[in-house]
Amino acid sequence: MKMVIALMKDRRPFRALIQRAGLCVFALTCLGNGVVVSQETQIPDWLEDRMSLRTSNRRDNGDMIALVRPLTEAIGESVVQVVSVGKVVALGVIVSEDGYVLTKRSELSVDPIRVRLASGQLLPARVAAVRRVNDLALLRIDEVGKPLKPASFVDVTPPVGAFLVSAGRGGNPIGLGSVGVGSRKVEHSGRLGVQLYNSDGKATVEVVLPASGAEAAGVEPGDKILAINGREESNSSSVMRVLREMFPGENVRLTILRGSEKMNLDAKIRDLGVMLESENDSKVNGQRSARLSGFEKVIQHDTVLDPSECGGPVVDSQGRVIGINIARAGRVVSYALPASVVMQDVSDMLNDARSSR
Amino acid sequence: MFIDHHFSFLAKCVYNVSLSLVADLRVRPQSIVRTFLISFLASPKSMREFLRSYRIFATLLIGMSVLGVGILATYPARADQNESLLRPSLPDSPTVSSNETLVEIPQSLTEIYVQGGVPKSLPQLIEMEQQQQRVAGRIGACTVNVAIGPAQGCGVIVTASGYVLTAAHVGMRPGKSAIITFSNGRTAKATTLGMNRGVDAGLMKINDGQNDGKPWQYANLGRSENLVAGMWCIAAGHPGGFDRERGPVARVGRILKVRDESIVTDCALIGGDSGGPLFDLTGRLIAVHSRIGNDVADNLHIPIEHYDMSWNRLAASEAWGYLPGFKPVLGVRGDPTSAVAKIEVVKIGSPAEEAGIRTGDVIEQFGDAMISDFNSLTAAVADTMPGERALCWIIRKGERIRLSVEIGRDD
Repeated sequence: MKMVIALMKDRRPFRALIQRAGLCVFALTCLGNGVVVSQETQIPDWLEDRMSLRTSNRRDNGDMIALVRPLTEAIGESVVQVVSVGKVVALGVIVSEDGYVLTKRSELSVDPIRVRLASGQLLPARVAAVRRVNDLALLRIDEVGKPLKPASFVDVTPPVGAFLVSAGRGGNPIGLGSVGVGSRKVEHSGRLGVQLYNSDGKATVEVVLPASGAEAAGVEPGDKILAINGREESNSSSVMRVLREMFPGENVRLTILRGSEKMNLDAKIRDLGVMLESENDSKVNGQRSARLSGFEKVIQHDTVLDPSECGGPVVDSQGRVIGINIARAGRVVSYALPASVVMQDVSDMLNDARSSR
Repeated sequence: MFIDHHFSFLAKCVYNVSLSLVADLRVRPQSIVRTFLISFLASPKSMREFLRSYRIFATLLIGMSVLGVGILATYPARADQNESLLRPSLPDSPTVSSNETLVEIPQSLTEIYVQGGVPKSLPQLIEMEQQQQRVAGRIGACTVNVAIGPAQGCGVIVTASGYVLTAAHVGMRPGKSAIITFSNGRTAKATTLGMNRGVDAGLMKINDGQNDGKPWQYANLGRSENLVAGMWCIAAGHPGGFDRERGPVARVGRILKVRDESIVTDCALIGGDSGGPLFDLTGRLIAVHSRIGNDVADNLHIPIEHYDMSWNRLAASEAWGYLPGFKPVLGVRGDPTSAVAKIEVVKIGSPAEEAGIRTGDVIEQFGDAMISDFNSLTAAVADTMPGERALCWIIRKGERIRLSVEIGRDD
């Protein structure tokens, strides 16, 4: 460890950083073997090359993030993490003093839900209202100590080429990107991934599409779909009608007759575009949200986000909260719901939630 | 039959995705004006010289016939603009044509434009952002989608006459006909010219007579030699292929690495972007998208200089070289002195074996190319891309059979 620290004083700080990182890796691999780490350890050129690419000049390097930090810190108290079974599944935005939090609905698959505030406090919450069409959920924190600080959205459309900064819990800037194209509606093509025909008056599976939710759930050709989510369906067209209502990322319970055996299979609806893409595209797209399409209106930007970093606010270069991240849709695409959509849906959901209390 | 999904397979150009063949079509220049202009091609050494002589001539023509003499007066300044990347504000030429991408840059941004780096303050960040927005607003008109058969990539128009820079793997090989689609959905026919596959640079041209004699909107050119790591840049393209509801997508990023044969940026690209343009903060074209690595910051572009250096060969429809690791291979051996392309050895595990080619087969046609002897087969294979499917006509025991081969890559 002493040696590592000594290296930090190198006149070329970046090289030192790499060497340090390299030595740490080396040291870790040698741990417990009693091998002494030699100071002469050479970082291979390719590794130095790759590491320098990733850190020094990127648009979201340390200096840039430090520059935009005040923009997100200004709203820091309003940004929370949503925790489900001990795991952070999404970010959320406080939208009322009395404990309502906006987040991405499809990430909330498992109860119980808890919310971690900017202060670090972890509080239980429950789903108070949802808007399926834009994949939004309104959470309610029941035991709020002192009043929370809600974020105020500003209905402005950032032009193509504008910078956007995404805020994490407490206002930590988690990503910087740019607006790629004008705001638009994004259609979805959520599919179970089956071709059906009618046999004995029942919806019968003819083909199961590779990489589909149907395949993953174990649906087989010849299976008869009797019911979806517990509701009986009379034939192929009624099954199709129900399936067509489903968004990518949603789960369906299929009641199936296979031979003489009746069984339930849980399948996830997936976007057709994702099912059909090449192996290579799938690799370079990286981790994506399950619900990555089907939104009324989105701002498309290219901020690199983890799917669990959706649900948090997006600010422009003047610090205005112009929307919330709603999906990581691919290597070059993240979607944010614009303030106009968010404000309307939040207002509707607050009404729903408060009137049903 | 009820179908839960639509089968609409869209093959997209990314550097190692399958491409399919379309019919060969070569279009020759027809009009007198064109023939005259083409003669410029032979003499200048580089793209820049060509563009300069061509643009002066084209501007004269346009000036006289369409727009009057107004443009003539401002032209000399514009003719020089591609000469000096380091003169960003161009105070002497306030008139920037609406046909081009060049955007004046405020004095306060000169340093960050030339040297790159992080803005000193939020107000400077906002100033730079406004510059990005101005550039982004101009680059959609010269960025085109390029479709050859089912494969899609991009291209960028660099002359009023319709020369289009693209990636070699998008153009595939000289003389292919392509459909280009503009941002507004309008389409035009184009023909591929030369390919420097060694760096993935390709050239094509929009066929004449498709714009009522009007000039195409084109990108102004920058210079690769002034690029440094840390510079800001703006990528455009059609990620995932053309989407009418969406249009071209801009991405603002920075140059991470400058090499002779490629530059690396963190402007994230994906299949469908290949051949699209990379601009600097003044709207000058500095590179063309080529290929990506798995990391989101591994995006490689072909520096503009490569089109300049090889302009004559590219414009003359020459194709040469291959990217390391992308040499197309069939996996057969034969006698180069024989009068026919008779297969003597089929390598085990080769694309040829996979396709069912056997020892003793005589190959008559490979893709579009008629095969006369083994050397012409070698040349035909060299003209393909790894991952591409080619139809092969073979004589086996007096019978003519057809096989489909997926070209492999020689590692």
